[in-house]
Amino acid sequence: MTFILQRHPASFARGRLPVLRLWTLLLALLGCWPAWSEEIRPPDYQVKAAFLYHFGQFVEWPTNAFADARSPLVIGVYGDDPFHGDLERMVAGQNINGHPVVIRHIKTLPDLKGCHILFIAAPEKGRDRELLKAVNSAGVLTVGEMDDFIQAGGMINFIIEDSQVHFQINNNAARAAGLNISSKLIKLGRPG
Amino acid sequence: MKNLEFHPRSCFVSRRSRQKTVLAAGALALACFAAPAADVVLTNAAPGGAVSTGADLASLSSMSLEQLMNVKVSILGPSETVSRTPAAVSVVTAEDIKRSGARNIPEALRLVPGLDVAQIDSSEWAVSARGFNDQSADKLLVLEDGRSIYTPLFSGVFWDVQDTMMENIDHIEVVRGPGATLWGANAVNGVINIITKSAADTQGWLVSSGGGTLERGFADARYGGKIGDNASYRVYGTYSDHAGAVLPGGNEATNSWQMARGGFRVDWDATGENAFTLQGDGYVGWVRQVVEGLYSPVPPFTETIADDWQTHGADVLVHWTHTYSDTSDLKVQAYYDYTGREAAIFDEERHAFDLSLQHEFALGGRNKVVWGLGYNVTTDTEKNNQYISFSPDAQTENLYSGFLQDEIALVKDRLSLTLGSKLEHNDYTGVEVEPGGRLLWTPWADSGTRALSSQTFWASVSRAVRTPSRTEESFKSTMADSIFPPLPEISYGTDDFESEKLMAYEIGYRVQPLEKLSLDLAAFYNDYNDLRSMQIVSLPAPPVTPLTTLLGNDLYGHTKGGEISATWKMTDWWQLRPSYTYLHMNLYARPPAVSGWVPQIEGSSPQNQFSLRSSMDFPHGVTFDAVLRYMDNLPTFQIESYFELDARLGWRINKHLEASITGRNLLHDQHAEFAPTQIFTQTTEIPRSVCGEITWQF
Repeated sequence: MTFILQRHPASFARGRLPVLRLWTLLLALLGCWPAWSEEIRPPDYQVKAAFLYHFGQFVEWPTNAFADARSPLVIGVYGDDPFHGDLERMVAGQNINGHPVVIRHIKTLPDLKGCHILFIAAPEKGRDRELLKAVNSAGVLTVGEMDDFIQAGGMINFIIEDSQVHFQINNNAARAAGLNISSKLIKLGRPG
Repeated sequence: MKNLEFHPRSCFVSRRSRQKTVLAAGALALACFAAPAADVVLTNAAPGGAVSTGADLASLSSMSLEQLMNVKVSILGPSETVSRTPAAVSVVTAEDIKRSGARNIPEALRLVPGLDVAQIDSSEWAVSARGFNDQSADKLLVLEDGRSIYTPLFSGVFWDVQDTMMENIDHIEVVRGPGATLWGANAVNGVINIITKSAADTQGWLVSSGGGTLERGFADARYGGKIGDNASYRVYGTYSDHAGAVLPGGNEATNSWQMARGGFRVDWDATGENAFTLQGDGYVGWVRQVVEGLYSPVPPFTETIADDWQTHGADVLVHWTHTYSDTSDLKVQAYYDYTGREAAIFDEERHAFDLSLQHEFALGGRNKVVWGLGYNVTTDTEKNNQYISFSPDAQTENLYSGFLQDEIALVKDRLSLTLGSKLEHNDYTGVEVEPGGRLLWTPWADSGTRALSSQTFWASVSRAVRTPSRTEESFKSTMADSIFPPLPEISYGTDDFESEKLMAYEIGYRVQPLEKLSLDLAAFYNDYNDLRSMQIVSLPAPPVTPLTTLLGNDLYGHTKGGEISATWKMTDWWQLRPSYTYLHMNLYARPPAVSGWVPQIEGSSPQNQFSLRSSMDFPHGVTFDAVLRYMDNLPTFQIESYFELDARLGWRINKHLEASITGRNLLHDQHAEFAPTQIFTQTTEIPRSVCGEITWQF
């Protein structure tokens, strides 16, 4: 492993690209964004948050799921908050069928107690099965956003199609957990 | 950056963090600094343009389900996640790799803006970032799943044996610029981290086979299954047969080669808090080579030998992650790596063992602390020969390291400062300190306009060192002296070899002015000292005294340059990715160093590089990808500047079957990209080549 002295006679003639001009061109490009008037699309998680809130209106829980008619409907979020607080902001002061909506961030399995809806964020793929096992048949509507969420026994799975948020529904899993999903919601779901 | 997270193997990207939709968009979360064994990551993409106002949310929450389904959303894309990283980073995704038709890692690395990839012959590549490219480019750290794959022998990479099955690669993360604060020595001009897919993502069968002119034939097979509810595994095997490249006259050169490799991986989510990975590989390879310019004591005093290299290796790695909470986890990793290379001019066996630990936690509301410890031991045995020898011929090297980094949110979501340092002890130079600081500024993060909120500025100052390699410390080579036969030319390494040192100053800017357009700019000024040099011990004085040289640390100087890249989704079916790289090197030799090395080093890296990638999606699963690239001239090798074109036509016939045809170097019959600089294998050129492939998944 050696360098041999002057094995490759160095030539000092070098070709040069018009570097400066390229930089100038790019700067010019930067200067003329027509961006300021561009329509801003909401991020997918804001739309998912709205869906999560709506799902509560289309699902009937077993009567023992609520202590009384005024007790809160708890939406659990598992994983680093992908909504960045938007879900809380959205449901603040809202009721579903008389139940005030409460958001709870789930860190450990015991936190799941009393949840009505559980959203498992995609970064938690890998733990979804364990969570589903823990909450299945416990009357919790499980919502995910992973490829095989439905196959793993999840109830509602978000998918993105053509830049729009859609969802798949696994009604068998919901029924097994004692949940009654309204036919309207089922009709809107995509085939899993 | 509250979403920076360390993750087991990836430098930046948490595997857990991936969401299929995001992946589909080619999006991967990035962050910049990771530890040698592990890595820092953005779990959830930063909110990027996702800035909400009360009015937006209110209108969304009052919409009907049908209306919500019609809302067009923006999905966090690479620019939005990469944009929150205070370093020059790029990610090559599995999709990028597939659509490039790359059959090996260096080919895939050609997709990265700012990397200089040059093929030397059929089995050898020179890969570097920001200058100093060479057959044994020594300023880049390369990892695969957290396992270092550069060799302490010369601090470079034997690319021919890094031939993991391409379909197993999840993504490749590349940092241009130093990453020494976390990764330590050798992460001087860049870090490349190859991340393979988790076993859960490679379930079922995949069989792929094909062949062509340069890739004579190859076959890959993989099967993945489940063990119980929480564990997945895969096993794979791959074989490839490569023709030699061509001699300047057009005949096939003597550098054909074959590789066979097999491996496995098991991922086990034991409990919610504990996850384990166990993986291993083994390979054997054969390379035919001809080595020229060797010294012979009998006329004509120079000899050219046919040298059949045989390579083999095996590795096994275990990784454990314990999660305490959303903001705190502990990672422990251990691996053993064996490599061997048998050749007439060089014969080495090497065993390496590595243990590392890394702990991350949040401190108060503003600090995110990561610290880690590591131990690495490598033992080699060299079989000396008349051309190249090592003294001693067997050696054990120990490396102890620790690092601490704190990411401080100076102004929440607007301004963050990352401070940290690596501290390590190696057997050659003792203690090395590699501190660094990085600033990330997103002044308009809360603005409601994408063009403003996506604007990210970053700046960094960091120190990195490249510690001596085994070769620099202890080799002796005896080559032919073409000017004064019958004398040889003898070169020595030196025990006194010091670490090469770098102070790097970098700035960067990213913006996504339109949903479909993102730009990434980075510029650097690198100040090097104590670079490897050569000095003359004795001039040739026939008939007795040969030319004798000794390595030293007497080159210094600076490099400056930058990289600009853009992603432009012109339409739903057509995406363009231009990039431009500029490099200027100014090196100097101080006595007693020979100054002739300076222009040779400067003239081995292109001053200008340009590339334009085009990706098109047509109906019926047909895709067409092309990369046009320009490389500036390399005066050292008298290689003229050139344009080259690679293209791939792919057809996904159905869910199970995909066919493709890839053409490389389409603009020329053949041309040289680099030349051997260390071991004088034949100077060869790279020919135009075509390769077809069929992939079957079920």
